[in-house]
Amino acid sequence: MFLEVKNISKKFKNHQVLKEICFDVDAHQTLSVLGKSGCGKSTLLKIIAGIETADGGTVNLQNQNVLSLPAQERKIIYLFQEALLFPNMNVFENIAFGLKIRNTEKHIIKTKVTDMLSQLELDGYDKKMPHELSGGQKQRVAFGRALILNPPLILLDEPFSSLDVETRSNMQQLYKKIAKEYQITALFVTHDLKEALLMGDKICYMENGVLEVYKDKQSFIRSEKTGVQNEINFWNNL
Amino acid sequence: MKYSIKHLILLMLALVFTLPIVILFLLSFSQKWVFPKLLPEKLTLENWIIILGDGHVISNSFVISLSIALFVAASATILGFILSRYIAYHPKRRLLTFLTYFPFALSPVIFAICLKYYFIKLGLIGNLYGIVLAQLIIALPYSIIFFLSFWNQKVLDYQNLVYTLGGKQKQAFLYITLPLAKSFLIICFFQCFLISWFEYGLTSIIGYGKISTLTIHVFQFINEANIFYAALSCCLLILPPVILLWFNKRFIIQQKG
Repeated sequence: MFLEVKNISKKFKNHQVLKEICFDVDAHQTLSVLGKSGCGKSTLLKIIAGIETADGGTVNLQNQNVLSLPAQERKIIYLFQEALLFPNMNVFENIAFGLKIRNTEKHIIKTKVTDMLSQLELDGYDKKMPHELSGGQKQRVAFGRALILNPPLILLDEPFSSLDVETRSNMQQLYKKIAKEYQITALFVTHDLKEALLMGDKICYMENGVLEVYKDKQSFIRSEKTGVQNEINFWNNL
Repeated sequence: MKYSIKHLILLMLALVFTLPIVILFLLSFSQKWVFPKLLPEKLTLENWIIILGDGHVISNSFVISLSIALFVAASATILGFILSRYIAYHPKRRLLTFLTYFPFALSPVIFAICLKYYFIKLGLIGNLYGIVLAQLIIALPYSIIFFLSFWNQKVLDYQNLVYTLGGKQKQAFLYITLPLAKSFLIICFFQCFLISWFEYGLTSIIGYGKISTLTIHVFQFINEANIFYAALSCCLLILPPVILLWFNKRFIIQQKG
């Protein structure tokens, strides 16, 4: 298995946020994690990324337990709900950031960033500052900043939740395209049922800190608690 | 009509603010100004030449005040920036913030009297170290309170993002935190400078008459009824804050632009 998460638990004061979470992800696959706000989805991602500690369990990435490693050494990139572009840097500098801190040569940075801008359909935006971009463009730059490092695993924490319906749909298509091209392995957290179905090769559902992994999309659709049946009934009865 | 009334009010307000400063400068250039004369009898540079001359008590106190204010402002800003981060993300943030407000619960003079015993025991009365420490006791909590609003969840998210992108703590600080905090740092430095520059009560008690800052001299000249020297000292006193205000305004305008 590419990513194997076993018995991850987390408690904040008296509140058990995560209860013995177990799941695995194959290489080049996206696992959608569906759940309501506050169910522990983001905490799970933060533990895997290394910016939150777990009370117990293991996270094996490419057969190495990364839980004891600091975030810097895990090579797992966490994309926040907000694009979080560095406000003091332009688009080019934002995308180049990860390469710059690795002391990559300037001409390599230039070539790679120019290619990435083109992939993200952001040609000509390199000199723009974050405040000059729309919500969708900001998210694209955030993607580019992560993808340029070619990380083994990307964690996406509701990255499109703040976008309007049309931009959201465009971004979903763009993600699918890029995920295929770059052979991305990712965890995609969302509270949107449709988005979970669209984005994930595999889907799991989280409720009150308990994660249930479905073996395929059909099982997910048939399950009562995921809300898919209610949605289908709603549209049928309309 | 409305337009002209608005301008008239603005002009009057401008006069109200600038007239005392104009009079202050006029007084500093005069040696005799008696009622009912509208202007001083003689305008001369003599006061300025004497006072700013080598070794004069005022020029010395100007240098002392400036050194103290710059040191206090720089130390309070740097220490406040670091300590406020610790407090902002501490589980007992509310209690620590409450304690930070303590130096402002008392007036500076009463606070200085409370501290005096400890300063005598530590041999810090009547010397520069004592004054710097006393002023830091006021300026540092101010700086901490000022920076507490900077350390929010978003700044933490930026830092965590840098870590997941492979950045080290030093890189997160240099490339992200510091540029984000730049305007906060500059404004805090200015405010702490002003706190120290105009500080009188605490400085006069801890300084014990041995260290004369410019503010102390202004009060001395006023007590002696030496209005011309008092005016001149006041001119020197408002000079650095005016320069800082100009920088501040320019900086804010640039930021908005």
